[in-house]
This record gives sequence, C-alpha cells and structure tokens, in this order.
Amino acid sequence: MSTAAPSSPMDPSSEAMTTEVRSPARRRATPKVAALVVVLIAELVTFSILAPEFLTRANFLNVLTAIAVTGIVAMPGTLLIIAGQFDLSVASITALTGVAMATAAENQPLVVGIVVAVVVGALAGALNGFLVTVIGVNALITTLGMLSVLSGLARVVAEGLSVGVQDFSTLGTARPFGVPLPVVVFLGVVLLFTFVGRFTTFGRSVYAIGSNPTAARLAGIKTRRTIMMLFVVSGLACALAGLILTSMLGSASPTAAVGLELSVVTAIVLGGTTLSGGEGTALGTLVGLLIVGFLNNGLIIKGVDPFWQYVAQGALLIGAVSFDRLRERFSGEGRQ
Amino acid sequence: MSDTATVEVTGITKSFSGVEVLHDVDLVATAGSVLALLGENGAGKSTLMKILVGDHAPDAGRVTFAGRDITGATPSIARDIGIRMVFQELSDAPPLSVTENICLGRWPTRRGRVDWRNARRQAVAVLDSLGSDIDPDRAVGSLRIGERQIVEIARALLGKTRCLILDEPTAALSASESELLFETIRRLREAGVAIIYITHRLDEVQRIANRVQVLRDGASVLEGPVANYGRAALVEAMVGRNVDSTQRPATFERSDTTPVMRLRDLASDRAFADVSLELRPGEILALYGRVGAGTQEVAETIYGVRKVDSGTIEIAGQPVAISGPADAIRRGIGLLPGDRQREGAFMNRSVAENLCAASWRALSRRGVITRSKEAVAYLRWHDRLRIRSRDDPQQTITTLSGGNQQKVLLGRWLERDVRVLLLVEPTRGVDVGAREEIYRAMRALTERGLAVLVATSDHEEVVQLADRAMIMVRGRIVRELRGDQITASDVVSAAGGLP
Repeated sequence: MSTAAPSSPMDPSSEAMTTEVRSPARRRATPKVAALVVVLIAELVTFSILAPEFLTRANFLNVLTAIAVTGIVAMPGTLLIIAGQFDLSVASITALTGVAMATAAENQPLVVGIVVAVVVGALAGALNGFLVTVIGVNALITTLGMLSVLSGLARVVAEGLSVGVQDFSTLGTARPFGVPLPVVVFLGVVLLFTFVGRFTTFGRSVYAIGSNPTAARLAGIKTRRTIMMLFVVSGLACALAGLILTSMLGSASPTAAVGLELSVVTAIVLGGTTLSGGEGTALGTLVGLLIVGFLNNGLIIKGVDPFWQYVAQGALLIGAVSFDRLRERFSGEGRQ
Repeated sequence: MSDTATVEVTGITKSFSGVEVLHDVDLVATAGSVLALLGENGAGKSTLMKILVGDHAPDAGRVTFAGRDITGATPSIARDIGIRMVFQELSDAPPLSVTENICLGRWPTRRGRVDWRNARRQAVAVLDSLGSDIDPDRAVGSLRIGERQIVEIARALLGKTRCLILDEPTAALSASESELLFETIRRLREAGVAIIYITHRLDEVQRIANRVQVLRDGASVLEGPVANYGRAALVEAMVGRNVDSTQRPATFERSDTTPVMRLRDLASDRAFADVSLELRPGEILALYGRVGAGTQEVAETIYGVRKVDSGTIEIAGQPVAISGPADAIRRGIGLLPGDRQREGAFMNRSVAENLCAASWRALSRRGVITRSKEAVAYLRWHDRLRIRSRDDPQQTITTLSGGNQQKVLLGRWLERDVRVLLLVEPTRGVDVGAREEIYRAMRALTERGLAVLVATSDHEEVVQLADRAMIMVRGRIVRELRGDQITASDVVSAAGGLP
C-alpha cells in the first residue's frame, strides 16, 4: 500500500473525469478473462492441427449445442458463487422439471406442462433459498440434500422410467438461420446475465454480498432477499434447461442431467470466478464452458474413449484452481 | 518457588513493518509482588507482554527469568517454566467442558490415555482456589462472560505458575467476581508468584499493586512504588503533558436547535443501560469509554444491529423501532463500523463501488446503473475528502492506505446524505495525516447540519473532535464534559473511575 501516491488534484477538470471513467473500467476484469481466452485459442489451434474436421461451422455449432444446457444453468450459478453461495441441486431440479413437464403433458395441453415445469423449478429454488437464508443451513449442505431429495422425487414421478413427449421438438431442434434454437437461447441467457452482473443494482449487491456479507448488511443491502432471488432464478434456469433437454431428446428421464453440477462448477471456476466470493463474470463462465466443450469435442473427434472426458474435466478443474492459487501466491495477493 | 522467580526485561526494542512500537523498555516483575502496568491504547503494553510469553521476538534487548536468559523462547517454553498470561479476549473452546478447557493441551494421562478423573480433580482444585463453584462438567459456551474469564484464569494457574500476566481481567467481571479475583491475586502474591497486572482502572492500581509502571508511545515514562504516585500523576504520565494543550476547535453549543436524535434510558443486553442523550444537528458528540465500556454497542443498537431491551430511540421527535441497517439508513442514519476490514470494506471491489454501496438505488434508473455514474459520485468525494491515491474510480480499495480506505467508507454516508452519522473508532489504524483530514471533513460536514456521534476509546480523538463528550464506564454514562472541560486528563480520569 503506497502512501507516496500523488496527492489528489484540487480541481478535477471535467475532461479528466471522462477519460478516467472509461479506460480503467475494464482493467480489473480483463487480465483473468484474457488469460482464459489465450488458453481457449491455444486449444482451438491445437485441435485444428490435430484434426482437420474440427475447424468447421458445423462442428462449432455442435459444441455450442452440447454446452447450451450446462451454460444456461451455469449463468445464475455464476452469480450464486459470486455471492458466496452454491447450488449443487441443479441436476435434480433439471431432471424433475423435465419429468414433471412430460408427465403433465401426457393428458394435458403442452402449455400446462411448461407451466408446471416453471413452477416446479421456481419452487425448488425457493425451497433452497428458504433453507439457506431463513433457516440458515449452509448452502452446500442444503443443495446437496436437495440433490438427493429431488432426484428421488423425479424417479417417483416418472416411476423410474423415461416419459415420452409428443409434438415438443421445436424448442430443442429448431434451427432459425441455421443456428440451433438452444444455442440462441443460451447466448441470450449469457447476454442477460452479463447485463445483470454489470449494469444493475441487483448485480452490484451480489458482488458486495460475496465480497463481505457483514459489510453488505451494514451498508443496507438486503442480503437475504438477494440470495433468495438468486436461488429462485437458478431454479428457473434449471426449468428452462429441463425443457430444452426434454425437447431435444423427445422424452424426459429422471437421470437425464446426472453430473450437471460438476460441469457447471467446472465451467464457473475455470472462468475465473473465485469460491471465496465477490469476483467473477458471466463472460468468464462462457469462456470456461467453451474450453471444456471444445476439449470434450476434440477428444471425441480424435477417437479417444469417451470415459476419458470425465478424467479431463476433473483434471481441468483442479488444474485451473491450482494455477489460480499459484498465480496469487507469486503476485503476493493470496497472502494473509 | 523462591525469590529468584523474578522476570526482568532490559532494553527491549521492537518494530512492526518499520514502525517502532517499543523503544528501550526495562521492566522488572519481582516474585511476591504485583506490578500494575498502565498505558493508553497503543502504548505498547500488549506487545511487551507478548514478548514475555514468547509470542514475539524482540529486535533488541534481553528477557531473563530467575537469572536465566530466555530471550526468544517459544510460547511453549515460556509456559513450561511457569510464565502464564490471561488475555483480555477469551481464547477458550466454547463447546468443550470447563474441565477440558482448563486442562487443554496438558491432559493428565495414564498408560497413554487421558485420565479424566484426574483431570476433573485438578480442575476442581484450581477452581476452588479461585473461590469459584463453576460446574466443571458444563460447556464453557453456556457460562456467563465473567465465569468464562475465571475459567481462563484457572487454566493459567494449572500446574506451577511463577509469573502471571493478567490483561484487564476485570473488564468483564462483576464487582463480586472482581473481589474474588483480587483475593486470589493476594494469595498468589504471598505464595511468591510474580504478577503483572494490566489495567485502565486507577482505583484497582491503588488496591492491589505494589509497584506501578506506565508506558507511553512505546517507552517507559514512570516506574516506582504505588504509594509514591497519586491519581493525577498517573493520568499525566499516561496522556503526557502536551496533550492538554492540543488545539481544540471552537466548540459549537447547539442548544438552540431541536435534537435530531434522542435516546431515553436505552439498554441492550448486558452491554449498557440507562443511556440517555440528545444529539443536535451540527454537533459532534463523543461517547468515550474503554474497550468493553459499551460505547460501540450504543452505536450498534441505534443502527438496529443489536436489540433494544428497554428505553426508546427518537428520531426527529418520534419514537422509532429500528429493525436493521436498511431501516436505519432509510431514516437517515449511517454507521461507520469499527472494524474496517471485516465490517466496512468490500476488499476485492473498486473504490467507486465501495463508496456508492449505500446509494445504488439513488444512482440507478429502474435498477440499471453504470460505472460512469458511480465514477462521477466517487470523484466528487475523492476531492472533497482528499483521498490520496490515483483518481481511478475502478482501482480496488486494497490499493489505498488504511486512512484513505476509511475516507472512502466515510464517503459512503456522505454520498447517501445521511442526517445522523455514527462513527465507531473512526481513526483506529489510521495514520496521523489522514486522521487530521478526516476530522477536518467531519467539521465541514457538521457546519452543514450533519449530526455526528463518535464512539471511541481514543482520548485524543475526543479532545480534537468533540463539541461534547459523554464518558462511559461499564455500560453507563458517568460524566458529561462540554467545551473547555474536555481535556485529556479529565476524559481519562473520568473513565478510570467506578460507575
């Protein structure tokens, strides 16, 4: 901490103000995301050399489609982790909403099924939020418990089987302008959460709560309400993901999204969001998703046994966090 | 135990990151005698004691015990030779039982297993010697603070204690508990233990100490038999001769205006009771007291962080029930917390976000806010509060020095335009230059009608800042000082008495 900084100008000209307002705004967020983009580009170059069919429009759309469902869930997930919270129950909420929708649509109009899915997602999120903010159960424990509870409920509702859905393929398979609709929805969600994180008072509150919950409360920020809303939004995103997944597959299965929480957390952490809270961006998570997505895709193209994807994803997660710790230690930030 | 159990410290010097906190200090604690160690906050008492028990190594100087050089001994060596300290803050393990706490780390064992029956017997014996009948099987967390303090003392007395250091042990004790402690101290003294007793209570010094020593700004300024010094001499040694001539600002008597806030017989938990005061626009009222006297708790209660047990808070003549910080802010009250890092700042966020955190709604339109709006707000206060750093609103707040961080947090309430500002230890850990600037900013703001309540344990702050001062001891207001009555010696003296 330097006290030898130049003393403040006594009369800031309006010119100085406008220049100062713009340029540094990005300075803080840039280094981490920039480093990630470099990793992504290196990955793309490597696979392009190894496999000529990698660098095609069709393959890129494949990758985007493959990460769309994970990505939709990972966006509110990013805000949750920035706020110092966690949602491990996303896979079960996604599966339950899909199964609930398909079951309801068996003898009701499709719209009813969709409404049921949205309501179930919101309720599941609200229950998570209630347990965390009102009862005060740790978010990790709450959502781990809910992961099991809701997974069980999904199996009960579906009687352990897949439930088929008729005439519901548009959401998952339509291709406006040649781009799969799930990709369009996913990119829309990314834009929405980028905007919320950067340009809303809600987003500011999320960062403040994650950075220092006590200080946030003392500054008059409604911490509980904000966290509650984040969990509900996470539940709603899972409902959207559950609908897309059901539509893509033409049926809903209670095991459709197993392991989703791992992919979500991997992408978020890889994307530069710190688990200690107060830092991270939706765009960073997008880059994290792309890194994982292209890695899995490249491995498949090269004919590597798909089981290795699990190994690669886990190693990537641990590697990214280790790298972050080392970087902090060497730049002196991480010392207490 | 013999007369040789004397602790001697010679020529101790110690610096932390370039700042000298102890300079060439000598101290002798004789076996069978009580040495009272006095000094204001930051005088160096704690650092000196931490060197004695091996928590810190001195930069220069020697520590000897019974003639043996123990400079740089580790805490466990110091423990083993019988130098024990009871810290002011509780360092117990709340979920464990009284017995477990007393024997913590020194379990009596039999064939490699903990001998619980023996442990319990030892705990009961040492509690008995303290005249305490605390149940040895109860969880420490369920005891009253005073009882927990006694458990801490019992822990220090387990085994052979040859030098006992007590850091403000009566701060949390009731009068009768204090009496028992004094009795124990006398008994230990007669048994030949060397006792160092850190306190702010001048009446306690006269009662139990044989010798007295005063530290000021890291140096020893007075040392001798207690009988040689009166109260006034001790106070003067603690605060220094020059402080009384500290420049005081012109005092504003604001009895003409109506109070913006009024407390009537306010009480909260065990922290304080019967607190009544009025705060008028344009006035700086200091609430002065030692740590634990309840000043900070009064501020927190007004802010809705603690619950009101009895009494009322009136804002603009209306009794109000403040439900929490958000509610307090809505009513025009802001609080600058005492612990900047833990309660005030968002350490990994920008200075602009830190400054605007209470004003986001006002700066936004339909929930949408831009960095440039925040930046403009920040730069306004950057200049008026003379925040000394680059005028970059997006730099993280950690790039600023402590004093400048504090200015940013002060700016949070000025941007919010509160009517009542509660400051808790506003210049703790703030360098002298920034302190002056914070004081100047406070005065400029009060001229525009802001009402300020400062909860502080720094007497110089009271002298330099306050129009009016109320002195608290053990949760009660004992004295009110106005204008020229506010001198360092009067402030310190009033806080050193009994309620």
